[in-house]
Amino acid sequence: MSNPLVDMSKPDTIFCIGTNMTECHPVAATGIKKAVARGAKLIVADPRRIHLAEMAELYLPLRVGTDVALLLGMAHVIARDGLVDEAFVAERTRDAEEFLEHVEAFTPEWAEGICGVPAADIETAARWYAEADKGAIYYTLGITEHICGVDNVQSLCNLALMTGNIGREGTGINPMRGQNNIQGAGDAGALPNNYTGFQPVTDPENQAKFAKAYGHAVDLEKGMTKVTALELCGDAIRAMLIDGENTVVTDPDRKHCEHALRSLDHLVVIDIFLTETGKLADVVLPATAWAETDGVCTNTERRVQRLRAAVPPQGEARPDWWIVSEIAKRCGIPGFDYTSAQEVFDELCSLSATYNGLDWETIDRGEYQWPVPFKGHPGTPILHQGEFVNGRGLFKRIEYRDPAETVSEEYPVWLTTGRRLQSYHSRTQTGRSSGIDYLLPAETLEVHPDDVAAWGLVDGGRCRLSSPRGAVEITVRATRRSPRGTVFTSFSFDDTPVNFLTGSGYDPVTQTAELKVCPVRVEPLPERVSTSG
Amino acid sequence: MPLPTDDDLVARWKDEPAPLLPLLHAFHDRDGHLSDDALRAVSAGLRVPLADLYGTVTFYHHFARFPPGTSAPRVCTGQVCRFQGGLELLEALRKDGATPMPCAGRCDDAVPVLEGHTVKVGRTCETLEARSSPLPPPNPDGLEECVFAAIREPGRATLEGYRATGGYEGLAAAVAGAPETLLTTITDSGLAGRGGAGFPTGVKWRAVRDAAGGPKTVVCNADEGEPGCFKDRAIMDHDPHAVLEGMALAGYASGAHVGFVYLRYEYPETAAVLERAIREAEEAGVLGDDVLRSGFAFRVHVRRGAGAYICGEEGSLLNSLEGKHPFPRERPPFPVTHGYDDLPTVVNNVETLASAAQIARRGADWYRGLGLGEHAGTKVISLSGDVLRPGNYEVPFGFPLRTLLHDWAGGPGEGRTIQAVTMAGISGGFLAGDDLDVTLDEPAVRAKGSMLGAAGIMVFDDTRDMLEVAHACMEFFAHESCGKCFPCRIGTQRLTERLAGAAGPDALDGWSGEVRDIGAVMKATSACGLGMAAPLVTESLMRYWPERVAEHVESLS
Amino acid sequence: MTTHDHRTAEDAEALTARLTLDGVEVPFAPGETLLEVSRRHRKDVPTLCYDPRLDPFGGCRLCVVELEGSRNPVASCARAAEDGMVVRTTSETLEGYRKTLVEMVCSENRQVDVDPLSGYASQELRELADRYEARTGRFEGKRSGRSKQDDDNPFILRDYDQCISCYRCVRVCAEQEGDYAISVKGRGFDTQITVEFDGLLKDSACTFCGQCVQTCPTGALADRKALRHVDTPGEIEKTRTICTYCGVGCSVDVLTKGDTMVGVQPAMDGPANVGALCIKGQFAYDFVQHEERLKTPLVRGDDGELHPTTWEVALDKAAEGFVKARDEHGRHSIYAIASGRAPHEAAYTTQKFIRAGFWSNHVDNCSRA
Repeated sequence: MSNPLVDMSKPDTIFCIGTNMTECHPVAATGIKKAVARGAKLIVADPRRIHLAEMAELYLPLRVGTDVALLLGMAHVIARDGLVDEAFVAERTRDAEEFLEHVEAFTPEWAEGICGVPAADIETAARWYAEADKGAIYYTLGITEHICGVDNVQSLCNLALMTGNIGREGTGINPMRGQNNIQGAGDAGALPNNYTGFQPVTDPENQAKFAKAYGHAVDLEKGMTKVTALELCGDAIRAMLIDGENTVVTDPDRKHCEHALRSLDHLVVIDIFLTETGKLADVVLPATAWAETDGVCTNTERRVQRLRAAVPPQGEARPDWWIVSEIAKRCGIPGFDYTSAQEVFDELCSLSATYNGLDWETIDRGEYQWPVPFKGHPGTPILHQGEFVNGRGLFKRIEYRDPAETVSEEYPVWLTTGRRLQSYHSRTQTGRSSGIDYLLPAETLEVHPDDVAAWGLVDGGRCRLSSPRGAVEITVRATRRSPRGTVFTSFSFDDTPVNFLTGSGYDPVTQTAELKVCPVRVEPLPERVSTSG
Repeated sequence: MPLPTDDDLVARWKDEPAPLLPLLHAFHDRDGHLSDDALRAVSAGLRVPLADLYGTVTFYHHFARFPPGTSAPRVCTGQVCRFQGGLELLEALRKDGATPMPCAGRCDDAVPVLEGHTVKVGRTCETLEARSSPLPPPNPDGLEECVFAAIREPGRATLEGYRATGGYEGLAAAVAGAPETLLTTITDSGLAGRGGAGFPTGVKWRAVRDAAGGPKTVVCNADEGEPGCFKDRAIMDHDPHAVLEGMALAGYASGAHVGFVYLRYEYPETAAVLERAIREAEEAGVLGDDVLRSGFAFRVHVRRGAGAYICGEEGSLLNSLEGKHPFPRERPPFPVTHGYDDLPTVVNNVETLASAAQIARRGADWYRGLGLGEHAGTKVISLSGDVLRPGNYEVPFGFPLRTLLHDWAGGPGEGRTIQAVTMAGISGGFLAGDDLDVTLDEPAVRAKGSMLGAAGIMVFDDTRDMLEVAHACMEFFAHESCGKCFPCRIGTQRLTERLAGAAGPDALDGWSGEVRDIGAVMKATSACGLGMAAPLVTESLMRYWPERVAEHVESLS
Repeated sequence: MTTHDHRTAEDAEALTARLTLDGVEVPFAPGETLLEVSRRHRKDVPTLCYDPRLDPFGGCRLCVVELEGSRNPVASCARAAEDGMVVRTTSETLEGYRKTLVEMVCSENRQVDVDPLSGYASQELRELADRYEARTGRFEGKRSGRSKQDDDNPFILRDYDQCISCYRCVRVCAEQEGDYAISVKGRGFDTQITVEFDGLLKDSACTFCGQCVQTCPTGALADRKALRHVDTPGEIEKTRTICTYCGVGCSVDVLTKGDTMVGVQPAMDGPANVGALCIKGQFAYDFVQHEERLKTPLVRGDDGELHPTTWEVALDKAAEGFVKARDEHGRHSIYAIASGRAPHEAAYTTQKFIRAGFWSNHVDNCSRA
C-alpha cells in the first residue's frame, strides 16, 4: 500500500475495485466504513454484488476480466472533461501527452460495450474520483489474478497520476495483501528477481554486496518463478523445498500441480499439518505454528511487527528458520549458524536498504513502516511524497485484452473465485478451529436465482461444474450477489476443489494465474443419496 | 384507490428532509402496524441499518409492530384522566384491544381515546365523540393577553381570519427590514423560552445567526408530552398561523430557510390543521420561496413523533427528527451551533413562537408591559384536575397561584379543599400547604424547591392519596426514561418500586435513605431534565406528607 | 493508557491552553475532553460506558466531575476542556454519587463477579464494585436485561442478565466495526440489547468480530469459546503478537493458562487494528493445539508411505536429496518456495539456502496464487 491503514477513513472518494474487503480484510474494511459514515463517496467495481457494493454510493457491476476497459473509459472522461491535475502531471509524471492522446479512443460508451457498466456511471465514477481532494484506490486479487493483472494495476496507476491522487494523506494506490506475511516474504528476498528489500539481482552492485555476505557470487540472471518451476518439475527442476504452502490446493490447475510435484526426484515440505501437498513429499518437517514462534512479519502497509511465542511447540515442531538452517548446514552451506530468530532478522536488516534502520529491538512496538533507511529514521507511512522512487511517475498506454478463455457454447458461464469471511485459504487453520463450521459448514456455488431456474438447477441442490481441466461437484445457492451468467465459489474446501478447474492463463509479466476468470459449464445433478466423510 | 406499494412510499419520502419518521408513519398508516417487511423496505430505501431501525421503532410506544396496531384504541390513563374515568373506560374498551397511553394532552376535556387518526373524548364508551379541542376559557379579569389575544376570534385558524386580526403583519414588517431589527425587538421584549428552560429567545436566535456553518434550521417543539400540559395543542389547533409566523420570524432572524414542526403523535387533528395552514400560507405566498415578496425563502414541514415523552427534550427531538435513536444529546455543544444535522438550529416551543409573532407586530415594550413587577410578558398555564373550570389560562408572569386556582378556575368542588398541585406538569413535583402562596414566575416557584417549567398545573383536592399520585407520576417517568443514563434508567425504576411497595427496605430509615440517595444522584448526575426532575416528586412527597410515607413503609413489613 | 493519550500528552506540552485540575494548572490539547485530561494526569476517574475508541456517550455518569460555575457536576467524558476551567475530579460528594451509582448498577445484575476469560474489559464492573465497596445489597429490585438463551452460536455468549445498558457493544459495532448489527430494543429499565427482529446473531448483520465481547464491562457479552477454559488450571497470561491471517497485521494478545492456549484478545493499542479483529483473528486460533498438528518429522519409506522419524534422520534425508540433485542435475535443478504465512526468518533462510547454497535465484513465494 502506498498509504497507511489509518488513511482508509480519510479520503473523500474511495474507489474499490476487485476487492471483497469486508470478507477478506475485515479490519481494514472498518476504515472504509468509517469514511462512508463520515460522508465519503464510495465507488465499488466488482462483478459480484458484494457487501461493499451494498455500502457503495455508486456500484459498477463489471463483467469479469474487463477492468482495463472500465479504467480506460474513466481515464477518457477525466481527460475529456478537463479533470486532469495539470500541475501534478507537469511536475511529477512522464509521457502524459502520449497517454492522453491514447485514451481519446476509449469512450465510456466503448467501455460499456465491453464491461457492461452503463456509460453514465463510468462518467460519474471518473468525476467523483478526479474531483475529490483526496481520492484513494483500494484493490486486491480481483485486479491481479488475471492475465492482464499488470495492465490492471498500471491502469489504476494512470488514474492516480492523472488526478494527482498519490503521495498525500488519504490518497494512493493501495493493494491489500492477502496473507499475514506475504509482504515480508518479498521483503526477505524470497523472489526470483530480487534480493532482500527488493534489490534487483540483475544489478552487479547488489551481486557484489551479496557475494560478500554469502561468500559466493549469485547468478546475475533472475531465477524462474514458481509457475515456471512447476512447469519444469521433473525436467530442469528436480528437487524442491516448499515451506508453509499448500500448493496443490491453492494453486490453479490442481491436476497439473499434483503431477508436477510427483515428478520431482526430491520434495521437502515444511508445514504445521500434513497437507495435501505434504502427502506428496519425500520428507515432511514439522514447523512451529503461529503463537509458538518468535519472529517478524510485515503487514500490507509495510509495518514491521514482532511475532511472539505464547505456548511451547507441539511435539517436536521446530521454527522454520531452524529447519532450513539445519538442512543448509547438512548440505555444507556456510552462514547458517543461527541460534535465534533475532540473529536471522538482524542479518536481514543489515542487508536491506529498506530495513537498515531496523533491528529486533527497534521493532518491538511495531511503530515502523518501511522504508527505514537508517537508524533514527521515523519510517515512511506514505510512499511517493514529493518524488516517486524512480523519479517521475510513468504513464503507460494500456490496451484491453480478453481473458485467456472466454465463454463459449461448451463453457457458457463465467466462474470467478475468491474467499469467504469465515474461512481462510485451504482451511488448514480455520477448518481446525472449533465453531467455524457453525457459520460455514460447506462450500456452495453462488448462482443468480434466474440462472438457477434457467439452467434447471435447484437452490440447495447439487450441480457439476466443469472446465477444460476438470470437474467439481458442488451445492447450488441462489443469490443475487451473483450477476446473471456468472457464478462464484471459494477454493477453501477440499471436497469442492475448484482449482481443478482454474488455470486458464497467466499474466505474462508476473506469472500470476488468472484465478478470477474461468469459463465453465454448470449442469444439475440428481439428489445425492448419502454423503460420506 | 389501490394502496400504495412499498416502493411508492419510499419514493414519496426518500428525498424529503427528515424522511424517516414520515416514511415509518406512511407504512404504519397503510398497514396499521410496522411489519418486518415494512422495516426491511424502509431500511433499504433510506439506507438505515436494519438493527438500528428495529431498535428505534421499538422505542416509540405508538408504533405497533403487529396487528391489531392502530385499529386498537388507546385510552389516556394520565393523572387527571384516571380521576375522571380513564381506567374504567380502558377496561370497557379492552374488548376492542384497547391499551393505555400516558397523558395525551386533553386534561381540560377528559378522557381522550386515540383511534387511528381520530381523537374521541368522553368518560364512557357511550359518550365518546370526536370533537374539536377546547378554546381557552375567556380571560376572567380582562387582563391583556399576548398569545391568546386573538385566539378566540372566529376563523382565526384560517389564513383569511388570521390576517383579518393582524396576522402576518409582524412578519411583513420584519422581512421589510433587516434581521438585526427583528433580533433587537425580540431581545428587548424579554421573551424567554416557554417550554420550560426560559432561555432568552433573542439571544438564541442571534447565536444561530452568528454560528458558522449551515444550512440552518428552525424547529418548533410541539412534542407537548409533559403530563398536564395542553397549551401548545390549543395554540396550534386554534391559531396555527401564529406558530408558522413565529417560525418564519425565527428563520428570518437566524438565517434559516427550513422549519420543522415536531408534533406529538397524540394530536392527529392538529397535524391536519397545521398541514392545511402551511398549504394556505404557501399558496398565498406568505411562506415558500419568496415570503411576502421579500426574497426570503422559508418552508415548513410537519413531522409527527410516535409516542415518546423524551422527544420533548431538544436533543432527543433532534435525534428523532434525524431518524436516530432518540437519546438526549450531551450539552454543550448546544443546538444553536450543533442542532439538526449537527448544524446551527433554533429550537423553540410553540408558545414562544406564537408570542414572537405578537411581539413582532406590537413591539418589545408592549410585551414587557404585560408582566407584573419585574417580570416581562405572560405565560400560558394548563390548569387541570380538581378545579371547576380547567383550561388554558394566560397569566402575567408574577400572577398569584391562588388567584388562578380559586378566582379564575373556580376552586375545588363543593366542600373540598385544595390539597396540592403539581408544577411544570409533573416535573416540578408537588406544592402543598403554605407553599401554594406563590406567584407564577420561575424565581418564586424555584424558591419553593420546584419549577414552573412548561406550566402545567394539576390540582388535587383533599380526597386524593398523594402517595398513589406520586407513584403514578414516577411510573410515568420510569415508562418514559429513555435508558441512556444510569441514574435515570435505574433510579426511576427503583423509585417506582419503592412507591409501589414492590421492593426496597421495609423500615423507614432505610427506605428514606435509599429514596434520598437515589434522588440526589439523579438530580446531580442525570443526562437530561427527566432524570433531574423525577426525584422532585419523591422529595416533595416526603416533605409534605411524611406520615403518609411512614404509613406506606410500615405496610410493607 | 492508549496511544491516543500518548499523542495528546506530547502535543499538550506545546500548548498554552490550561485548566486547573484538582488545584494544579495543566495544559491540554484542543478537542481533549476533561476525562482525557484527567486520565493523562493519572486521575482515577471511574467509568463504565467509556471506551477511548468511541465517541463520548455520557451514559454511566460515573465520570462526573465538579466544574466551577456549573450547578451540577458534568460528565467529564463528554465535556471538552476549555481554557481557564477549574475542575475537581474527586470530592466527598462526587465519591458519594459514584458509590450510589455503582450500588445501583450492581442491583440490576445477577452477579458482579465474572471470569476474566469473558472478555478484555469484563472486569470493569467488578473492579468498581470493589473500589466503592458497593456490594451492599442496597437498591434491590427488578433485574434488567434478559439473556438470549436460544442463541447457541459457539462464539458469543449473550448473557444479558449481566447487561448494564452502557451501549458499548452497540457503539463499537457501529463506530468501530461499521456493521450496525447490535441495537437497543425498548427503553428505560426495559432496555434490551438486541439485533434485528430480536433474532440470532447468525441471522443478523453480525460478523462475529468479537468487538462487542471485548468492550463489554460486565461479561454480558462474553467469549464463549474462551470460557470453555474456566476450569483449566493456571493463571491467565497474555502474550502480545500479530494475527496469523490476512495482511492487515492486527495486534493480538494470546491468552494462555500454563501451556494451553485459551483465547485471543485484540490489542487495544495495536497500530494496525486499535482493538479491532475479525472472526478469524478472534476465534479461529485453536488449530495451533489441534490434535492433527504434525508433531514429528516424516520420511517416505521404501513402502511408499510416510513414516515418523527423528530429526536427525529426516534432516539428513532432506539434505541428501538436494545434494544429490545438485550433483546429478546441476545447481539450477533446485528450487524453493517460501511461505507468505511464516515469519521473515523463514523466508530469509529459504532464499539464503538457494542463493548461498546454489548461487541461483530459484526462489519464490506464494504470492502468485
